[in-house]
Amino acid sequence: MSATVLERLERLPRRNLTVLALRGISTVVPGDWRNITSADDLIREVMGSDDPALIAQVRARADVLSRARHEGYGRALSLYEAVNRSQQAAGGLRLLANVGGAVPLLRRMADLTPASDTLQAADLGLKVAAELLAFTQVNGLPGDSFGDFAAALAEYGSEARVRMAALVCFDALLPLGDQALERLDALLGQVGQADLRQLPGYAGMASLIPGRGEVAHLDFIRRGVDTWLGWAGGFVGGLGLTGQKAVRALETTLGPWQGRFDQLATFLDVFTDTYRHTGTQAVARRLVERAAAEI
Amino acid sequence: MGRVVRWGLGLLLVVGLLLAGLVLLPLGEWLPGGTVADVPTAQVVNGTAFNRLFPPAGPGEQLVFTQEKRGFSEARLKQGDATLALLAISDTATAPEAREKFSASGERIQGWPVVEQGPQASALLVAERFQVKVIGQGAGLDLSQRRELLDAFDLKGLAALQAPALPRRQAARGPALQPVPQPALRSAAEAA
Repeated sequence: MSATVLERLERLPRRNLTVLALRGISTVVPGDWRNITSADDLIREVMGSDDPALIAQVRARADVLSRARHEGYGRALSLYEAVNRSQQAAGGLRLLANVGGAVPLLRRMADLTPASDTLQAADLGLKVAAELLAFTQVNGLPGDSFGDFAAALAEYGSEARVRMAALVCFDALLPLGDQALERLDALLGQVGQADLRQLPGYAGMASLIPGRGEVAHLDFIRRGVDTWLGWAGGFVGGLGLTGQKAVRALETTLGPWQGRFDQLATFLDVFTDTYRHTGTQAVARRLVERAAAEI
Repeated sequence: MGRVVRWGLGLLLVVGLLLAGLVLLPLGEWLPGGTVADVPTAQVVNGTAFNRLFPPAGPGEQLVFTQEKRGFSEARLKQGDATLALLAISDTATAPEAREKFSASGERIQGWPVVEQGPQASALLVAERFQVKVIGQGAGLDLSQRRELLDAFDLKGLAALQAPALPRRQAARGPALQPVPQPALRSAAEAA
């Protein structure tokens, strides 16, 4: 039996590059960010109680819920896993392309790697689609109207502010430049079925994306991104996020960076897994809120 | 053994496995562990039914629905950016043990038993089936504020919900589905 959500939460690192990158980026969003890796702390925070018996009850209920396949908590986490693998593989490809350009023998290989921007846009599209899918897996379709659902999404967005800031900065502003959100539509238009197939994360996600075949999946990803862009545009505008600002925030924890922005993005893609890290924390919080209400 | 026989056997094995897999594929839904506590989803009230029973938000407050699953619906009561409380209604069909804490309860709201869980959570059991809960967040709510919120839910509507029958082993335990008369009324009647 695979690990429950809370067990996975407790396996998250307390201090490594991922945590440092998140701590850095959290300085650009209001409110403080804590790296929650203890299930008991999370339950204590939600319940407002120190009673060990109560905490144990909530935990037991959360484990029952996360073991039930129908409830989608496990599915949401496997989406994050798939996307994470995709990110690291895409980052690896770009790393190879960077190195390959300089080494004559490897240049042919560099020619084979797809245009970096297109691949990055596809990767971001996959992440946004995974985020929407995971949201409905974990939370269902809250409320009775579309307005209620939109409010629920916005509420999630502000709760997971650091997660969203990391997504916007690491996957859009740094690799694609400050006009990333405006360019995204055009870039995604260039993504073909072959590009999609090339993303390792896609294979892991394909069965969970509505529609059959790559054409339908690409369409879903584009529509998902369109929905997200509306929100993300306001988020970026409201906080005044730019690549420069993101780098400065990261430098507070990771140390000075001399290279180009897209190189930093590649470095972060290969060596950190912020998407899975914050994703596990977000799912765990919603799960605990439900378990606390059901005991 | 001839080569033909060996290949034939191999092929048979592969085709057999494939067929068995295809036949069992739609049964995956019924394999144990699919639903919460293995209670079939048909016996659990869908969370959609609970949404309209939540209390209306007061002035300056907002009610934002955050989760809706089978047997569960949750909303946040917000004031500006701060979350005041989590409000939830859940069907205890998948958590019969959650009903037990109410047997010791002496206090009632609209005739239904209410208990406190720690300093920030108040729970109410309606029709021996639906649990209504208010959990104070952040700075927290005091007892009377939480009780007021519980009272503001549409408890009559909740009690009147058409709930699918509980599995037999659970139903055997819960006899009374009527609200118990309020203690205040009873003592008033006795005094008179």
